[in-house]
Amino acid sequence: MRETFEARHDVSQREVLRIFGRAIRFVAPFRGRFAVKALLTVVSLFPPLLLPWPIKMQIDHLLEGHPVIPGDYPGFIRPLAEQLVGASPAEILLWTLGFQLLLVFTIGAMGSTSSERDQADARLSAGRDTATTTENDLNYGHSRASGLLGLFEFRWTLRLTHLLNHHYRSRLFERIHALPMTAFDDERIGDAIYRVMYDAPAITQVVYRLLLIPLYSPLGILLVTWTLDVAYGTRLLGWVALALLPLVGLATFPFAALIRRRGEESRMAGATTASTVEEGMSNVLAVQSLGANERERQRFDRDSAHSFGRFRRYIAAWIFAIACLAAVGLPVILWLARYGSDLVIAGTLTTGDFALMIAYFVQLATYAFILGTLWIRLQGNAAGLNRVFFLMDLPGEEDAPGAQPLPAVARGVRFEGVDFDYEDGTAALRSIDVKVPVGAMTALVGSAGAGKTTLAYLVPRFLSPTRGRVLFDERDVAGASLASVRSQVAFVFQEQHLFDTSVEENIRVGRPDATQAEVHRAARAAGADEFIRALPDGYATRLGRAGGKLSVGQKQRLAIARALVREAPILILDEPTSALDPDTERRLLVTLREAARTRLVLVIAHRLSTVRQADQILFLQDGRVLERGSHDALMADPDGAYRRFVELQTRGAA
Amino acid sequence: MASPTRTEALSDELRRLGSGSEGDRLSFRLVVAVLLRCLPLLRGVRRHLLAFFGIVLLLFAAILPLVAMGFDIFWTGVLQGSPLPEIQARLLLLDPALVSGVDVLSEAARRSVRDHALVAAAVVLLAVALPAAGALTYYYIWITQRINQELRLQLHDRLQTLSLRFHAETRVGDAIYRLHQDSAMVSDLIEAVFLTPVMHFGRHLIAAGVVFLFDPLAALIFLLAWPPALALGYWMSRRLRIGFRAARETNAALTARIQEILEGIKVVKAYGTEPAAQRSFEAHSRAAFDAAFGVRFLVCIFSVLVFGLVSVTTLAGYARMLEMTRLAEPVFAVALLIGFGFDRFTLGVFNLLKGELGWGSGSFRIIYRMWARAQDMAIGLDRVFELLDLEPEVQDAPDAVDLPPFQRDVTFRGVHFGYGPDRPTLEDVGFTARAGSLTAIVGPTGSGKSTLMSLLLRLFDPDAGSIEIDGLDLRAVSLASLRSAVSIALQENVLFGATVRENIRYAAPTASDAAVREAARVAAADGFIQELPDGYDTLLGERGTKLSTGQRQRVSIARAVLKDTPILILDEPTASLDAETELRVLRNLRAWGRDRAIFLVTHRLSSVRQADRILVFHEGRLVEQGSHETLLERPGGAYRSLVHAEAPPAPQRMAAP
Ligand SMILES: Nc1ncnc2c1ncn2[C@@H]1O[C@H](COP(=O)(O)OP(=O)(O)OP(=O)(O)O)[C@@H](O)[C@H]1O
Ligand SMILES: Nc1ncnc2c1ncn2[C@@H]1O[C@H](COP(=O)(O)OP(=O)(O)OP(=O)(O)O)[C@@H](O)[C@H]1O
Ligand SMILES: [Mg+2]
Ligand SMILES: [Mg+2]
Repeated sequence: MRETFEARHDVSQREVLRIFGRAIRFVAPFRGRFAVKALLTVVSLFPPLLLPWPIKMQIDHLLEGHPVIPGDYPGFIRPLAEQLVGASPAEILLWTLGFQLLLVFTIGAMGSTSSERDQADARLSAGRDTATTTENDLNYGHSRASGLLGLFEFRWTLRLTHLLNHHYRSRLFERIHALPMTAFDDERIGDAIYRVMYDAPAITQVVYRLLLIPLYSPLGILLVTWTLDVAYGTRLLGWVALALLPLVGLATFPFAALIRRRGEESRMAGATTASTVEEGMSNVLAVQSLGANERERQRFDRDSAHSFGRFRRYIAAWIFAIACLAAVGLPVILWLARYGSDLVIAGTLTTGDFALMIAYFVQLATYAFILGTLWIRLQGNAAGLNRVFFLMDLPGEEDAPGAQPLPAVARGVRFEGVDFDYEDGTAALRSIDVKVPVGAMTALVGSAGAGKTTLAYLVPRFLSPTRGRVLFDERDVAGASLASVRSQVAFVFQEQHLFDTSVEENIRVGRPDATQAEVHRAARAAGADEFIRALPDGYATRLGRAGGKLSVGQKQRLAIARALVREAPILILDEPTSALDPDTERRLLVTLREAARTRLVLVIAHRLSTVRQADQILFLQDGRVLERGSHDALMADPDGAYRRFVELQTRGAA
Repeated sequence: MASPTRTEALSDELRRLGSGSEGDRLSFRLVVAVLLRCLPLLRGVRRHLLAFFGIVLLLFAAILPLVAMGFDIFWTGVLQGSPLPEIQARLLLLDPALVSGVDVLSEAARRSVRDHALVAAAVVLLAVALPAAGALTYYYIWITQRINQELRLQLHDRLQTLSLRFHAETRVGDAIYRLHQDSAMVSDLIEAVFLTPVMHFGRHLIAAGVVFLFDPLAALIFLLAWPPALALGYWMSRRLRIGFRAARETNAALTARIQEILEGIKVVKAYGTEPAAQRSFEAHSRAAFDAAFGVRFLVCIFSVLVFGLVSVTTLAGYARMLEMTRLAEPVFAVALLIGFGFDRFTLGVFNLLKGELGWGSGSFRIIYRMWARAQDMAIGLDRVFELLDLEPEVQDAPDAVDLPPFQRDVTFRGVHFGYGPDRPTLEDVGFTARAGSLTAIVGPTGSGKSTLMSLLLRLFDPDAGSIEIDGLDLRAVSLASLRSAVSIALQENVLFGATVRENIRYAAPTASDAAVREAARVAAADGFIQELPDGYDTLLGERGTKLSTGQRQRVSIARAVLKDTPILILDEPTASLDAETELRVLRNLRAWGRDRAIFLVTHRLSSVRQADRILVFHEGRLVEQGSHETLLERPGGAYRSLVHAEAPPAPQRMAAP
């Protein structure tokens, strides 16, 4: 239905550079490992130089019977040639085959054609959408060699990839849960999952490409040019390859922004699909009971088809870029064919030499293309990184520098001229000036949407006032460390959330080090002990997805138990009795009154039966505290809003 | 470290369904079976596949001769100076007298042949090959996406129709992973099942066959790669499958973990358990990477070993052929090969056979690589089929009829129901609710009220007894018609991340704007909706945050009202409303629902008084029924004690300190 947390579209090339710079800094903790990887990559460029020789020896000395002259061979292969001087054909065969076998096991190659060489790799099948194609990036490991060297490099790379990804993903996740509570109103869980699972892996691709390609491509060009120089005394092809570089870069550059944008769209559409599924699955009770299966089906059908379509558009952009590249490459190939054939026709070059020249040029061109397309190939990843950094850059709930821990509240919480506006402009609270004392039970009353929950959220700093201050014993919570504020508050939300773990673990969320006895005591106090014991495995019963195996009232009581076990000085309950039957409610209230002797208890309630138990009642209307006092005092005002509220209920019930 | 988090991740259901480790239910045969099972998915794109492969073949048929001719012209004509056949000259728009009718081409002729040939090549490439390749790539992606989409839809439908019992056990993240990642494994189906086996197996055999004609021993030596490779494949496949399953399961578990933490983020923040959440996330992430590492490394070892193996036999084949060439031995099938001009081993023959062995070993490696990937595909698809094979608990009977318009009554007869074996949640419940009546359902929490209502929606079927609408057993009517005759405002109001209007319209997508407003008015929601920044078009956050709970509750009532059904269930519709709003909502609902059957589940006894009949539940049993007055008069009655609990004679308050 919509995307939120949207990354800015159309980052400029400059910003992309900045993004890459940031990505590379993530390598810092792993620079040693990365250096080894770079070394291995460079090393794997050399073995191919060895490959053509044994075959040449077999043909020249074995089949054609030319005598072996070690001086004709380059130094690195000369020891082998020396062995062959004066050897019998059988010995020549053995030596060269033996050498080839050695190459097979050490570098995974026995000749220079592609079917005689292997590259260590473990790419697996992928789907045709961004999420599944990144799965291979996430597990990127590759070596240009194979055999033992390739295996080693592969293993090293894979480890490094995983370390990087894990590190990066973890930092992202850390950021996500450090976001302020209101940020989650706009976030979609499916989208966050997508970012952590499929956008984050972009980092390794960026890092490898950005750091390795500029290292090994020029080196490759140098090596091949050097070989050509030694063998044929020409460096021309090397120069051509260098000339190709800017051409390739220029030909693809115009597509960079397009590919980046489409990559981002594809990711966004994928994330939307994930959100749709997530929402549909999490709310399957609503879907089924509202008879909305067909509707969900259509929604999913549309979103999923859309995300496939976006991926196709991304691929289409690539197809055009590659066509453009081909259009640039073609004249060069044509020129080479002309130039080479001129030499052949003129008799300066044999046909065989021409074939070799082509083969070498293909190698040169490959390196040039890899380097020349570096920028454009980074763009798809830039889209992923952009989405990740966007989230990382959202302001979190960090403590201000110099934030002090707040001592335990002893007297009370005071709101001082507090206003609160939600981001969309909703004015939820207006000039709140009240004091909520420790050692008493305060009830917050008011019509639906009056701002009760908002007010309660200000206490543990889930929200910060737009104006005014919230004070614990006259100390402003704004400057205090967040952990010290939150640890003083136990909060029961209006709508419960339980985790898919055991009852006991769910209660223990309130205080992880609570003893079993304390857990049971809290459950008893919340009126939950009885039904928990009736569950199949008692306190060890798993609650199912989001606590789905309990009735709503049971969930509510577990949530209360969770708050009670925390034994925090401030206890806030947002409509704790809404799903409870009168009997259970009454028992709970006894508990709360008991708790209120030593703590600050703030209860939000609609039910008179709950409200009447409070020592102080705050009556909220349209974001303002309209009346305040005890039940009796407020009832004494014949025109009071609270009195009206009470009469409505009693008249209804009487 | 992988083990604890991994086992935690596997729900009982999945453990039963076959994890790779114990007994590895995916044998070779099952891998093939899983892949073959996907073939029906191709049916929807049959035409496109035919078109695609038809075009590809046609293009090959057209371009291949051109390519061959081009090489011939360039190598023999241009480079070696042999005259061209006349047809080639004509194709290049050259005068045959100059380039065909001579013994040797002059240098000028060679240059002009070359220039013509290069221009022709450029034209064919730019005008035909390049656009065709681009278009076909796009087309093929589109086709595979269609196949994948089809599988996704099937899976999604199945997930949405599986019972709540299933959903309580499985994790949302796991479903997401199956829908996205596991189902994507169908994308390479055509390669795995058709292209690779046919093309590369074919190429491999042809290579071996060609070599055989020249020298059977060299061919046999080459084929010696098979027995150890098969053994290696056998030994590896099982390990690969176990590894792939572990990788998929740990990744699904990680997805699920993220989802669960974020879903409960409020609790996480309120109780300061962020460090624990982070630790748990990192453990899952590491487990996922460890599993992926294990299996990817295994894949790499596998392909390195296969290369080593086939290289050894290829080298042995080379050696044999080198010997044959050195000694200029006669070729094996002389009678046949002499026709092509081969009778003895020469350097030319050696190069030809070397090329063939190269193709043969290349194909061999591709087959094995595909085999390794096919294990992963099969594991992924198997995870899809695990779900597709689950039968929804509640399904239309084969002879299900549509529910006729509701006229008389809803009847529960001796209904028994339990979520698990021998843990009854409802026992022997029987009552009748007539059209035009309001039935209130009260009772302590956990007594089975919501469960009762879910039976009426047929989210579950009763274990014994029956539920009837106008005398028709629910099990005999179609689910769609039943659910379009009953609407519900759920106890936990669920809204979606959409606009207010879309949310109200969720169950009745075609309703007019006026109807939406009318429904909102009935639910006493119109007023506050109008005050929202964009009124009915205000976007709500995920799960409908941005509204207060009481506001959300009214939107969900409006949603149920808009569906405009003869039977309406309100499960605690006013739990989060203040007394004034509650009264208004109830009054409106009464007026609106005059001739409907309304079920009202509530703890607020104030709203119960106006009910025509009150059902009182206790521990799954219907203990009392009747009107407010009659029930109140019953001494020691359950209802009576509930009412007294709500209005305790006098509050015992303590003095504030
Ligand atoms: N999916 C489930 N799996 C197993 N047990 C369940 C499931 N849903 C509910 N129960 C159990 O069934 C019993 C009845 O639950 P139900 O939700 O019907 O209660 P209720 O009367 O609606 O209670 P409340 O007033 O709290 O909403 C409870 O004991 C609950 O723990
Ligand atoms: N995240 C949000 N963004 C924008 N507006 C919001 C948000 N949350 C709440 N509001 C608005 O702020 C006002 C106060 O909401 P609040 O949740 O505090 O009400 P409440 O008194 O708790 O109501 P209820 O009794 O229904 O729970 C409402 O008008 C609501 O629509
Ligand atoms: Mg609220
Ligand atoms: Mg219920």
